[in-house]
Amino acid sequence: MRSALSEAALNGSGLPVVVLAAAVLAAEQVSFVLVGSGALWLRGEQVTVGDVDVVIEPGEANLRRLRDALSALAIRSGEVPAVHRLRDLSVTSVVTSYGRVDCLLERGRLDWDQLRRGAGYVAVADAAVLVASASDAWALRRQFKKSE
Amino acid sequence: MTMGQRSGVGLVELAILDALDARRAWPGRRAVPCLKVLAALEDELGLARGYAYQVLIDLALPWKIHIPLIEGQGNFGGRGNDPPASPYYTEARLSPAGQIALAAERGQIAPVPIGLINGNTHRQGTRPPFRPAAVIDAYRQVLARPRIRARQITDLVGPPDFITGCTVTGDLAALAAGQRTELGLHSRVTVTDAAHLRARVAKAAVPGHTPPSYTRDASRRVIIVDKLPPYANPDETIVSIADRAHEHAWHTRHPELAALTGLPIADIRDLTARGDYWFACLPANGTSPEVLRDQLMKVYGVSIYVSVGLPRPLPTMIRTWTRTYQHEDLPASITALENALASRRQKSLTTYE
Repeated sequence: MRSALSEAALNGSGLPVVVLAAAVLAAEQVSFVLVGSGALWLRGEQVTVGDVDVVIEPGEANLRRLRDALSALAIRSGEVPAVHRLRDLSVTSVVTSYGRVDCLLERGRLDWDQLRRGAGYVAVADAAVLVASASDAWALRRQFKKSE
Repeated sequence: MTMGQRSGVGLVELAILDALDARRAWPGRRAVPCLKVLAALEDELGLARGYAYQVLIDLALPWKIHIPLIEGQGNFGGRGNDPPASPYYTEARLSPAGQIALAAERGQIAPVPIGLINGNTHRQGTRPPFRPAAVIDAYRQVLARPRIRARQITDLVGPPDFITGCTVTGDLAALAAGQRTELGLHSRVTVTDAAHLRARVAKAAVPGHTPPSYTRDASRRVIIVDKLPPYANPDETIVSIADRAHEHAWHTRHPELAALTGLPIADIRDLTARGDYWFACLPANGTSPEVLRDQLMKVYGVSIYVSVGLPRPLPTMIRTWTRTYQHEDLPASITALENALASRRQKSLTTYE
């Protein structure tokens, strides 16, 4: 059973509110794989979802869609990097009305094909969100969070 | 963050207090330019440019910490998109509590529990703040009755207390037991009628500040959002809410998601005045204000979540502290801290009179 606290952060639909940011990105037709605690939660793991981590598919058209989507989502839209910067950046983070979204751009450039192979679609409301497999999500988490 | 053992204040914070003290920037005396203090500190401690100024600013902001250790002069910034002025144009001096923290660290007086009261979540740490009077009372009780039960100490301290008056939810028992947990900090979101909104605007008496026109219908139901969490930016929160009220191109393709994420708001008005951050939302026609209130509670900024944890169980922290320093005059230092807080309260009352 999920903790009482996690329940407090849930949307009426039973989803952690911040996961809706990933659904909105998917609705904006950005190609990404959801990783991190959001992916683990959607895979049924008992974790607290503090933010959303998405691995972005490399490619000019997708970066343009990402830029547009982040500009609409971000509270400080002026802080969304331009497309030419997204091509080189490792990570870009924005604060949205759902919570914080971390876009892992370099991870996408390095591991997109592998992550995509293990991922599967999960419906968040009526948006299909591509979610990394639990093993991939845990592996990434362990790689970047040494404490776990 | 490493802390001074006798006050619980961070080491960079102590270095700032020390630098102010060295320049005789004491309570009631002339404040010194922040730039001078920072230049010395950054070279001495090898801190990144700008970091010490952020710490200094935080030490002075009464809406971030219960016990400001510095009194600032000039523009130290607001809670919204109002950054502090450059350190060229601001000045600082020790507050009475800041002077007590230094005295405790230097062994001139017995230790004081400032660190436990202020916490460090305001600097992205994990220790939440607690109500000063409650913490002081708990220490006094433990000093008077060393065998007091752990549960009673936890009850005396009470839940974490964030200075803006936001509501705190979470597993408080886990926090008191020294476990890592997450706290929800929630604004107060109240359904009321337009007459109440009108009266509040009138009471604030800010020139040019008029109630929204829809308040002519006194019985119209509105939602007031106030007592925002201290780490939420009110200006960004209102943008968040307004943004969720907009139509987006994808809404037609994903009506279910649109219904889940959209906020049926006809009007949102920022009515912040004299440091009282609040805004009013008018539900769209046909929307239940209670339903909208529940939706608003899920907007980032109206509610935020912070990861917290104490290094040890709360009763153990207090007991160990009193035991470690039992040969010093703890009651006197606690009373000195209490007096410093009272003088600050008195001063703020005088300022607003």
